[in-house]
Amino acid sequence: MKLSQDLLRAEAARRVQVARPDLAAGLDLSTAAALAEAHARIQESADTDGLLAVSVVRRFELAAWTRATCEFAIGTAPERLAAWRRSFSRTIFLAGNPDNLGDRFRFDHIAEDGSAAWAGPAPAAASAGLRRLLKLFDGSRGLPPRPDTPVRIPEAIGPRHRPPVRRKLYVATAGSTVADTLVHLNHLLVEAVLDGLLAPGDTLTVRQLPRLIGLPGPYAALRVGAEPEHPGRLRAYACLTGETVGAGA
Amino acid sequence: MTGTAEPIPLLGGGPAPSHAPAALPGVPGAPAAPRPGRPRVLLAPVTVTPCKPLTPSHLKGLLWVDVMYRATARLAEVTYRYSPTTYHPTDQTLGFWEYLDHTLGDTDYSRLTEEEIGELYVGYRAAGRPTPVSALGPYLDAIEHHGWVHPAGARVLELWSAQYARLGMHDPGLVEHQPPGMALDEVLDRLGPLGLCLDMREYGGPVYLDATRYGLPLRQIATARGRPNYLACALRELIPLVPGYDEVVLLHDPELGPDYQLLQRVLSALGPVVRRVPVGRVPIDGRIRSARHGDWRGHSAGALLEALGADHEDAALRLGTRLYFIATLGPGDQQSFRPDLLRQCVIRAERMLSGHGGPADPPGGDLTGFLARQRAPHAHAVDPYRLTSGLLARRRPVPLHELLPAVFL
Repeated sequence: MKLSQDLLRAEAARRVQVARPDLAAGLDLSTAAALAEAHARIQESADTDGLLAVSVVRRFELAAWTRATCEFAIGTAPERLAAWRRSFSRTIFLAGNPDNLGDRFRFDHIAEDGSAAWAGPAPAAASAGLRRLLKLFDGSRGLPPRPDTPVRIPEAIGPRHRPPVRRKLYVATAGSTVADTLVHLNHLLVEAVLDGLLAPGDTLTVRQLPRLIGLPGPYAALRVGAEPEHPGRLRAYACLTGETVGAGA
Repeated sequence: MTGTAEPIPLLGGGPAPSHAPAALPGVPGAPAAPRPGRPRVLLAPVTVTPCKPLTPSHLKGLLWVDVMYRATARLAEVTYRYSPTTYHPTDQTLGFWEYLDHTLGDTDYSRLTEEEIGELYVGYRAAGRPTPVSALGPYLDAIEHHGWVHPAGARVLELWSAQYARLGMHDPGLVEHQPPGMALDEVLDRLGPLGLCLDMREYGGPVYLDATRYGLPLRQIATARGRPNYLACALRELIPLVPGYDEVVLLHDPELGPDYQLLQRVLSALGPVVRRVPVGRVPIDGRIRSARHGDWRGHSAGALLEALGADHEDAALRLGTRLYFIATLGPGDQQSFRPDLLRQCVIRAERMLSGHGGPADPPGGDLTGFLARQRAPHAHAVDPYRLTSGLLARRRPVPLHELLPAVFL
């Protein structure tokens, strides 16, 4: 499965069309530059009246965080998730300790190990107090190396409409910081939950790769972003594969 | 009753009285073995970095602490913790020293005035050259492991020591090596289990002090590379110290209020009662400026002492500066510096010391009982403002004969 520039561009355009079909119709989505502009315009409208999630991060460990993000998304009402997608599932990551904040703020989800918590998605004003108290998460280091890790989304956290499946989650690490990874995976995972690609009982194998090249395919979801060192070019930052062999519980 | 009948025999010549209590024995900064019934009090004011002359604002703060220290020492076991060593690692000081060596090379600072060194500091801030982090390492190593002080800093501290002596202020160890009791990582190990810090260095982020559970915002205390700011330095010093005390008093500029609220919360979590005493700065012509803009020019402590000392004895200078900076200016920062009022206070002090114009001295006055009534509510430490402004009220009797040498001269 070659992730060509055409394929990446089509995937990025598809994301815009799914999130804001109303706006996408009038936008040029044929080049990376046009896509970036379309993104900026939609972001602008989302800033004023869209929904925003806030994720408070105390510790980051890729597998635990992946699981907690899926749990958060599965626990969020589908219509709320859909409304959030219209704001490109916009999320602000803040450094903070959920244990210290529980008396003052109501979180919508708290990771089992207390390493992170989520509030929203909601209008931005709802999280203003939290954002005033905390600082933007600053994760400028690269991801530490780690072996493949299975992540099982617990069955008990929500309704299941199909048998559990197994997928691989590929994460690109070259040139990516911890903060970049949070952003890319967050979008990929919550939108995959909304699309029914991830559900209670599913198992993900998280694998870090320098770049997402030469993957066997097919993919179920792809996270595409600009490549800062090559303006005009796109790059895949994360990939959720199709169901892998051994699907089912 | 109008004042004392005989002059207080301290005005005029002679060696300086041994007014200040001796430094506490044992480990520097550690509380002395308490005498039964005597509370243990730690005074920890903001420390001035030795990069520039002392200004009227500094004098006010230092005199405030000095009166608090000497008065409280009559009632309690007091430690006055003031360690320039602790704050040398901050960027402000370290960056300045690295700049001096980088731009001036080997220079004889021993004959420079603190104003001249202050001008170099203004030059450093104006140059705005970011100090390479790699260049700071060797300085940090020399400070932390060898008690090294840059000659420019040592010169300023030496000049300050002389000014302290002239003003009769207790020297809390300006030129002594007083390292903090903990390394940064030890501080974080202590605070981590209490949920009071958030260390994001593993991900490339900074270290925060976390008192969000009290509604206080996260505050960075060290960079991703572990470079501490002054708040981290204060924690390195105070966390190991405070558990031995019944009361800890933090004196600070009101501008540092948010940081000191944090410090108060964190230190309180370790046991003692922690109070904050904000002491307002002294505006010059209505403006509070900073050393980076040379705010001392024309008003340095050295220049003020020079001008007043030419016409007045040291005892009057000592009492007069306290009457001005504490009783006249008060805890706020509304009044601009008035050299004429300062001189009037010194003249008034002269009259008080010669037995005229002061409050009545009750016969057989009980200094300890009197000082105990000058404490802030529910506190062990004496309130310098209450005590000093009492000297200006003529109707209230004050045991001046004992009080002045013990606290004000």
